[in-house]
Amino acid sequence: MNATKTIASPAPRFAVTRDPQVLTAKAAWLRRTLFEMFVAANQGHPGSVFSEIEILVALYYGGYVRVKPGQPDDPSRDRLIVSKGHATMGVYPILADLGFFPASELQRFGKPEGLLRVFGNISIPGIDATTGSLGHGPGIGAGYALAAKQDGLDRRAIVIISEGELYEGSVWETALFAAHHRLDNLILVLDRNRRIILGDTEDLVALEPIAQKWEAFGWRAMRADGHSFPSLLESFDAACAGDGRPTIIDASTVKGKGVALMENRAEWHYWRGMSDDEIKAVRAELGAV
Amino acid sequence: MRSRRFEPSSGRSDILERKGTILTQYQRDVFINEIRIAAAQDSSICFISADFGAPALDAYRAELPRQFLHAGISEQGMIDLAAGLALSGRKIYVYAMAPFITLRCMEQLKCTLGIMRLPVTVLAVGVGLGYADSGPTHYATEDLACMRVLVNAEIFSPADVEATRAIARYTLQQPAFRVVRLDRHPLQEIYDAGIATIIPAGFCRFGEGARVCIASCGYLLHRALQVQERLVAERIKVDVVDVFRNKPLGASLAEALSTYKAVVTVEEQCLAGGFGSAVLELMAEHEWTGRVIRLGLPERNFFENGGRDFLLEAFGLGEKAIAATVRKAAQSSAGLAAARA
Repeated sequence: MNATKTIASPAPRFAVTRDPQVLTAKAAWLRRTLFEMFVAANQGHPGSVFSEIEILVALYYGGYVRVKPGQPDDPSRDRLIVSKGHATMGVYPILADLGFFPASELQRFGKPEGLLRVFGNISIPGIDATTGSLGHGPGIGAGYALAAKQDGLDRRAIVIISEGELYEGSVWETALFAAHHRLDNLILVLDRNRRIILGDTEDLVALEPIAQKWEAFGWRAMRADGHSFPSLLESFDAACAGDGRPTIIDASTVKGKGVALMENRAEWHYWRGMSDDEIKAVRAELGAV
Repeated sequence: MRSRRFEPSSGRSDILERKGTILTQYQRDVFINEIRIAAAQDSSICFISADFGAPALDAYRAELPRQFLHAGISEQGMIDLAAGLALSGRKIYVYAMAPFITLRCMEQLKCTLGIMRLPVTVLAVGVGLGYADSGPTHYATEDLACMRVLVNAEIFSPADVEATRAIARYTLQQPAFRVVRLDRHPLQEIYDAGIATIIPAGFCRFGEGARVCIASCGYLLHRALQVQERLVAERIKVDVVDVFRNKPLGASLAEALSTYKAVVTVEEQCLAGGFGSAVLELMAEHEWTGRVIRLGLPERNFFENGGRDFLLEAFGLGEKAIAATVRKAAQSSAGLAAARA
């Protein structure tokens, strides 16, 4: 049994910023917090969670997911769907920071008595879709986006997908539909860490050229460095300035980013346990003193 | 014109007349008309088709274009889309041919509508061998087994237009995740508007006091009623139970079926996991000691030509074959009763 640390309670302090330094600090806090959650729960999907950290921080703290602290059910909120449901836990500390549930729940992640599940579901305040099986998020997001358009609401549906989901046919069914209905309030953020369970997508069944495929379906396709805040903010700014087309942002990431022993290592798709020495080393690496 | 009395399963004393007219109305048109009328007053209602039509849908589209969506021939994407719309406060009806909107979408139905318990009604048209002679790709002969394992799904299989209308209104009054299995063809009318009072009960009994009953639904309920008439002429009393709600099957149905020595289930489905299996499970749970005899399609694919009734006849679901099974069950139960006496 690994030694666990009390997960720092993020007091309600949610504030929108575009300052890369502040965002970087938030990303570091998020990685540290999530790492302690993995250690405490002894389960989860660190590779996929750590690859999306900057994306999540930029979306929430950069103000692109417009939510009001303490109001998870506000009907005017933007919707954020982590379609790669195994990485939903990445948003939990942010949702706690938003005051959607007590920060003490983070300590109970994955525990029988806890609110927070390994895969997110809509019983958790701030989670807008139950996900887990790949390929459903884009369609659900399209439904949210279309309803907002029909109701004349300035509301976005932002969906984080993995490249593995691009193999699912329902994603491309949605691609056709969303373009036809000009859902420019639908934004897919592709967490392109290139790693699926058995290797690199391009060695297994090639996905490239991804951007051209989406453009051929009538979407705007953008590229971003998924770990660079200036790059992400620039892309999100452009995506949110609708031009009648839905947008996909191909965000290049590293699976397991920030933890050297996990980076680009397929075996860290799922938490596999660590020795106390390894935990200590990772804590030092993540700046947790 | 024949008339047949039926007793609402709720135990109410009102007796309604069974009609004997052949209708030209399709179940799908009746259902969609109800939705159109309601949708004209309720902008949260949205109807989505995967390129499947109906005259009533033409009227709906003309009158309410903003509350209609064409999903493309993309049943899976349609279900995900419906989920997002339902999560936005819409009451959704998704519509396609039965084999495609059920088995093709199993995962979507489970992961979106089922897990999130969303107010979406799945309209599956052409159940059983309704699309004969199109062959097994177009038959829905395994759909009930698949749909009934979905957590949180409620399933209906109406046998006529009045039952269809009543179920449509029920879905409007109490939106939830439901699968409504409709026939491709117009069916003889059985009920009058009184059926609406017993939709929540889920079944309706034709006759009482027999030792044996036939439990069925949808298209084959009509055949069951024909068998009942045939056997009455032979002085063999048989009751018929229309189990129009296939899931959940409640304690009141178990109680009603428990009054028989044997229940013959008749379904236009392969037997594995289907309607008869559901009745077996129900009765086992209620520790009933009678017999369930299941009649259904064999586990095979049906490529043969000849039409729906020809196929049903060929594979043991003709009126004579069903009557023979029921007759034998009735005689056996009579003998058993006599022996016990």
